[in-house]
Amino acid sequence: MSGANIDNEVYIVGGGMTEFGRFDGEDQELAEQAMREALADCNVTWADVDFAVGGTNGETKPDNMVARMGLTGLPFITVKNGCATGGVALMTARNGLIAEGRDVAVVVGYDNHARGAFAASPARYGIGGWYGETGMMVTTSYFALKIKRYLHEHGIDERTLGYVSEKAFDYGSAHPLAWRRKPVSVDEAIDSDMINAPLTRFMFCSPDAGAVALVLARGKRAFELCESPIRLAAVELRGRRPGSFEVFSPWLSTGERTSPSIDSAKAAFATAGITPDQVQVAQLQDTDSGAEIIHLGETGLCANGEQGAGYLKGDYKIDGRLPVNTDGGCLANGEPVGASGLRQVHEVMRQLQGRALGQQVPNNPRIGFTHVYGAPGISACTVLVKEGANS
Amino acid sequence: MSIQLVDESLFASTDPVALQGSACASCNAHVFPAQGSCPMCAGVDVSNVALPTEGTVWSWTTQNFAPKAPFRTDEFHPFSIGYVDLGSVIVEGWLLNKTEWVIGEPVRLALAKAWTNDDGTVVHTYGFEAIG
Repeated sequence: MSGANIDNEVYIVGGGMTEFGRFDGEDQELAEQAMREALADCNVTWADVDFAVGGTNGETKPDNMVARMGLTGLPFITVKNGCATGGVALMTARNGLIAEGRDVAVVVGYDNHARGAFAASPARYGIGGWYGETGMMVTTSYFALKIKRYLHEHGIDERTLGYVSEKAFDYGSAHPLAWRRKPVSVDEAIDSDMINAPLTRFMFCSPDAGAVALVLARGKRAFELCESPIRLAAVELRGRRPGSFEVFSPWLSTGERTSPSIDSAKAAFATAGITPDQVQVAQLQDTDSGAEIIHLGETGLCANGEQGAGYLKGDYKIDGRLPVNTDGGCLANGEPVGASGLRQVHEVMRQLQGRALGQQVPNNPRIGFTHVYGAPGISACTVLVKEGANS
Repeated sequence: MSIQLVDESLFASTDPVALQGSACASCNAHVFPAQGSCPMCAGVDVSNVALPTEGTVWSWTTQNFAPKAPFRTDEFHPFSIGYVDLGSVIVEGWLLNKTEWVIGEPVRLALAKAWTNDDGTVVHTYGFEAIG
């Protein structure tokens, strides 16, 4: 722990997660289930919790979860940052615990999206109506345009996209809470219906429902609540700078390419005092198969261009050099926007504690990493360390 | 006779066709569509400019399903969209007349039919077609 004051360290001590998929009910039912599971996971009662943060992309108010959980008077902050909501909620809870000297916080993220819920209106993004009327206000075509360029720039074979899908559905099929639990072969993924070239039907995630909650504790309290607390060694949020390539962009600049994912990953590694090659299990935003490939490079977990050979060798599989998205990621779990980033942290927490719900990464991994990315150009990364790793 | 356009502010002229962008006096960044401030350097001394009409395909994809409203069309057929590097700025738009492209392929700006209004007026947008 590099001599840091333990009072300023925040740990994850418990987690709870619902099944992901279609859900015929209220989103806050899911949130309540996840919160109660997380509390039970570390034998904490709601009355012990002195701070909470909740996030959703939907219409309900996370801070009103107190009506279900109990009116204990605790401060409950609501965040809403699109695909990065989970990371922002976690960061807010961590900072609150440290800044205000509180001991125990609950973080919850949830959503219950209807089929096709990601349609966007130009006006909300400050773009003229023509952009939607001419068929360019489409998230999936953005993903396709971005990966087409990335594969070209770095000389990566388009078949690599099929390997990403195969891996995701393989791990999804082994995970009891995943939505898509049917394996898909590389060829099936490549040969299925084209949506936006080069991306096919098996290369996109869809909106769905789910909730995840985590219990955080500060300092010594963490070790009273949990045998194997996971230290939140860093959680960093960054926004876009000139040169980034974001969704719904009628134009791009011609200069150097930047990315909020590059910036947030670099900041997270610097804060944690850990280098990307030390990471033993990772979660990357994979709203499409191309995104996982791009984010491996942008976060520094591999060199840009190395992915083609890496997937062929099985580098990112459960027994490979760096297991990525070991629960099937967004591809197999769908993306309930508010819950998705916390699903990543929940999965890495369980992998580091040796109690994965799906396939377990072998050889006792101790250092984990998570990454979310979303509109309008924001990214949050965490570095998670099983205690004892550096001592 | 004037041509009906999806949005007149996108065009510097229609004969010959040219897109209207804006250029920043401070950092020389070009953006499209034209706007009153510079997102690159936050400068406010910007002016409208006609963008170059020829460039190369920077990236491309196909739109194989009909987008939801507000997308408008008379009859949906899969089409291509791409980013075209015009030198001063990379512009997103339709890629016309075919659905297989190569990054680096030279293209030029053209008007393209977008949809027909109820009164029979044809509404046009911009796109890029292969040169030669």
